[in-house]
Amino acid sequence: MRVRAIGIALAMAAGMTGCAGNGPRSILGKDKLAIGVTADQPGLGFRFPDGTYKGFDVDVATYVAGRLGVSKKNITFRTVTSSQREKVLQTGKVDLVLATYSISAERKTKVAFGGPYYVAHQDILVRRSDTSVKNVRDLAGRRLCQVTGSLSWQRVTAERKVPARLVPAGSYGECLTKLRNGTLDAISTDDLILAGFAAQQPQAVRIVNVPFSDERYGVGVRLEDVDGCEAVNKAVTEMYQDGTAGALLGKWFGSSGLHLTNTVPQFEGCS
Amino acid sequence: MPARIRALAVLAVLVVAGMFAVAGLAVQDARDGLRVIGHDAGPQVVATGDLYFALSDMDAQLADVLLIGREQNLGKGRAEALKLYDQRRSEANRALLQGSKLAGNDPAEQRTAQSMLDALGRYERLAGQALQLDEQQNHAAGPPGPEVTALYRQATDLMKLDALPKAYNLTLDNGTTVRRTYESKHSSVLAGRVWVVLAGGVLIIVLVALQAYLAVHFRRLINPGLAVATVGVAALAVVAVGLLTSEAGHLQKAKYDGFDSVLSLSRARAISNNANADESRYLLDPGRADTYEQVYLDKSQEILFVPAGNLDTYYAQLDRRLAAHTGFMGFYGTEARHVTLPGQRAAVDAMLSGYQRVQQDDARIRALAGAGGRHEAIVVRTGTATGDFDRYDQALVSLTAIHQKAFEGAIRGGDHGLDGWDLGLPGAALAIAVLILAGVRPRLSEFR
Repeated sequence: MRVRAIGIALAMAAGMTGCAGNGPRSILGKDKLAIGVTADQPGLGFRFPDGTYKGFDVDVATYVAGRLGVSKKNITFRTVTSSQREKVLQTGKVDLVLATYSISAERKTKVAFGGPYYVAHQDILVRRSDTSVKNVRDLAGRRLCQVTGSLSWQRVTAERKVPARLVPAGSYGECLTKLRNGTLDAISTDDLILAGFAAQQPQAVRIVNVPFSDERYGVGVRLEDVDGCEAVNKAVTEMYQDGTAGALLGKWFGSSGLHLTNTVPQFEGCS
Repeated sequence: MPARIRALAVLAVLVVAGMFAVAGLAVQDARDGLRVIGHDAGPQVVATGDLYFALSDMDAQLADVLLIGREQNLGKGRAEALKLYDQRRSEANRALLQGSKLAGNDPAEQRTAQSMLDALGRYERLAGQALQLDEQQNHAAGPPGPEVTALYRQATDLMKLDALPKAYNLTLDNGTTVRRTYESKHSSVLAGRVWVVLAGGVLIIVLVALQAYLAVHFRRLINPGLAVATVGVAALAVVAVGLLTSEAGHLQKAKYDGFDSVLSLSRARAISNNANADESRYLLDPGRADTYEQVYLDKSQEILFVPAGNLDTYYAQLDRRLAAHTGFMGFYGTEARHVTLPGQRAAVDAMLSGYQRVQQDDARIRALAGAGGRHEAIVVRTGTATGDFDRYDQALVSLTAIHQKAFEGAIRGGDHGLDGWDLGLPGAALAIAVLILAGVRPRLSEFR
């Protein structure tokens, strides 16, 4: 091994090979990892007053980090908002992002995605008293929450071309407050996120239960880190094979009534 | 004096052994690289790609059969679609049996192959029930009754959530193996070249020193054995460096002109076939039409990315950017920017215009269905659109074949280049060692 390393060094010194690519470090071989998660999505990523984070994304992140050789005590969780997710990866502020981060072609131009580790579905949350919204088209003319950096509202207004009236908010937690106090009529995003809210306030809100998209939750990795991305895929495969994924889904969403999938999703591919 | 000659000769023979070792290791690296890339993980990508295609097309044919209903004159007709379904089913079964044999003793791969066989068994049961019930319902073209739809949903979910991801992830795994092998072996072969030059250089210096020593002390101009050995070392170094350079070149060509495109085009074909079935499912299951339309756009953007928030924008941007031959990414963007092989440009253009026609058909189908013309949409879907998709798929297969040929050619070239080196290299090293010893022996005997 050392002989080969010397050989490569000599080859480079002799100018016989091309560039050796001095990109940012891979997540492989790191002793500590900073992982970006959400702070306001109960069941997925939620920050408690004592500074700890809990949720499905947090548990998946801990498992994946473990498979990369980083123990729980060497993980630093950091809050990321929807609009920051690409930037914090590109600047190296975090090493991984597991924050209900849907894979999209647009985002793939900026970051690489390990996984998906789960495929969620977009649905609609309304006040319990509201029975007029039966599917996504009924959102026409309604006040819909618009979270900066999130794709969800675009799926309604751009993709499905439903003319909802958008009400900006900084986070889905803020959307829920606004839904309850009547400043908006509906929140449309992934069922896993909505399930957390509905479980929190079952008297006040309800899920309409009309899924209209596949949201593939990816593990955000720096664009150049193909090795790291492939290692994440391997970890996710193992998470499903050893039953951890099923157990975690049951732990966080077992009582939500959602139909859960316990088999490994089709990966995006790292390059 | 004899001790010094002996020491130099022994040193020379040791360096010969060293040179033989570094050249041998580099040749072994090249051989390992060719084996994994050319004969193991590389071909596995094609095999798992075929498995995915057979599975995905089974579900596509099932959707078509259920969509056509009793109307025999639509498209290829129910009987023909059923025949195609059966054909894909036996292809998938064959590929899976083959796969479980290939998995050998690897427990993880065996588990995967076993669970895919299980999933396929469950799928066939559900599909059989759906087909039987659908036949009894004897419905007009369009969505079948709710019981059939419920059965089809179970079947297609099983395929989409269980069997297909495993096949696709196997393809990706093999891609990973090839990439890692390439990166380590290609650089080892190049590094081996430097070591051969260094060892050869040291050996020539030692031989020249020995030659000079003998010339000074024995007043002979030239020692023929040593002289031939020196020339032999130089020749061996030149030939070995040439061989390693050409092996590295073959590996590089196999990877960049062949394998990378074969991998991304077979991924594109898998996703394309699935997206095409999503178009049928969109007509078949109105309750899930929104999701099927969203995943269709998602898949289209993975295949060929143009910035677009909905399908209408996608069609428009696709037409504009394909006309301009620039401004698109995704699998086909990468392919169109990396044209290196004869015939590739024309094949890429044929595939892109085929893809464009498929998207134009899709626009028509959705416009018809959206305006209440579901039956006309089904007519287009089972007629023109199926024909256009098959032509596009053929163009994609032809383009892949160009890369496959380049891949196989490069691997053959690499294998061929290594022919004879198992004997040639030790033979040459031995000959050089013998020449050195033969050269110094008469001088040493003068001291007896």
